[in-house]
Amino acid sequence: MADPSKPRAGFAPWDRRELPGIFGVEETARRVGNYRWIEMRLFEVLGGWVATVPELDIKTMLGRHTYQHAWHSELWTKRLPELREMVPEKLTVAPNEAMERFVKELTEPEAPELTIEKMVGVYRVLIPHKIAAYTYHRNGTSRITDGPTIRSLNFALQDEYEDWIEGEMMLQSLIEGPEEVERAARRQVLLESLLVEAGGIAGPGSIGVYPDGHVAPSAGDGGPSQAQEVGA
Amino acid sequence: MRKSFPADDLARDSRFIRRRIEETVMDPRNGAFRERVEKGEIKAPGRLEPDRPDAPDAARQLMHGIFTGEIQALEGAGRTCWDFEVGDDAPYALKLDMARQCWDEARHTEISMKLNEHMGTEIGEFAEATFLYEAACNPDPVLRLTGVNRALEGLAIDVFNTMRDFGDLSDDPVLEFCEDWMLADEVTHVKMGSDWLRKMTENDPERREQALEFQRIVDKLFSLGGFRGDSEESPIKLARKFREMAGFSEDEIDEISDIADEAMAEATAIGKAATAAAS
Repeated sequence: MADPSKPRAGFAPWDRRELPGIFGVEETARRVGNYRWIEMRLFEVLGGWVATVPELDIKTMLGRHTYQHAWHSELWTKRLPELREMVPEKLTVAPNEAMERFVKELTEPEAPELTIEKMVGVYRVLIPHKIAAYTYHRNGTSRITDGPTIRSLNFALQDEYEDWIEGEMMLQSLIEGPEEVERAARRQVLLESLLVEAGGIAGPGSIGVYPDGHVAPSAGDGGPSQAQEVGA
Repeated sequence: MRKSFPADDLARDSRFIRRRIEETVMDPRNGAFRERVEKGEIKAPGRLEPDRPDAPDAARQLMHGIFTGEIQALEGAGRTCWDFEVGDDAPYALKLDMARQCWDEARHTEISMKLNEHMGTEIGEFAEATFLYEAACNPDPVLRLTGVNRALEGLAIDVFNTMRDFGDLSDDPVLEFCEDWMLADEVTHVKMGSDWLRKMTENDPERREQALEFQRIVDKLFSLGGFRGDSEESPIKLARKFREMAGFSEDEIDEISDIADEAMAEATAIGKAATAAAS
């Protein structure tokens, strides 16, 4: 029988989690506020578009995705007070003015013949950027101190991957010839340029790369002071 | 994208054919039909049961109506996510509820498409009326939720209960199974509407009365000239038990029953007048 009084390590041999992570509490809260902002904008526009797309399969897909992104925004609403922001609305902002312009452009199409334009904005531009930023955050934050954020990021990422694939397949089924290829590419260039200008969904440094060329330290390199610097 | 989206602009593919509800309810043939029923020349179709000679077609038509209604319910919930800003317009939690409803209505649309196929119906075989979505266009979120979640979704409870019973009576376990699942969601949606009405008008009795008045108007419209009512003869019967589960009081259900009687009387009078004018 195993001896219950025998000392054991606090971490099992296969548990390789380490301290610290690259984000402090404030930087995490700032990013989470940006995430909440974009998830809200996304679920609102997907819901609004349902009535404007004539394709039945896309209509129902948008209905499903509306809820998923609303739920992500709810996850971030609950996380913010745990990061010392008791009024989640205060940090629920776009990271910068370029991001606001991106969302304004993203949500512009309404006409029923513009399904490709609507879908490209979400599934070829915004969602890939969300996956990138969420993945960077998940991989960089402390797996010990920031477990709750990681758990929410994983839930959100699972949806994002599935939505990305589903949206991309719908788009491929709509793009039937050179004219549609051109339309989709034109739309992607416009929106991607705006999002690049914004620096990603959490602004410059969304995935640890900054416009001046410097790169965020890896999780193993930095202590809390470096983490603050990264967030600056 | 605009903040308010009119029913006329709802996007559909080429299979769908649109018809105004007034054209259906005020069809002079209805008046002539009712006259013949009153004279005892023919029997009123009554409750949807398998031994009715027209049961297969009536059930298929009702199922197609459910399908288009689900699309519009999805569109209406989606528009509430977009049309109102979080804050003074609408609480964040209300928009979350509407986003959840989008998912539910998307599933109902999918279920309805499968059931149409199961019953041998093609999309567009019957006309679509957009009166359900029109109730979702009110610029006041409280009135919109009352119209959609209490009146429209209340009608959905009555319709799903009727179809579930029809599935049971006609030995169609697929129909019964699906309708039972959709019925569960509708009870949730009606409860959402009742809760938000109470919460958002807690200190504003005038706004609450406006919302309830709007619901009465919508309920009258949704009684479809007496097609939905409380008597055993109504093709769609008020589902009292499920409405109570969804937060309706007995008095409120009685009131809807009275409204349905009024709608029937009005439609009969208008139908007779139209018949007289046509002859």
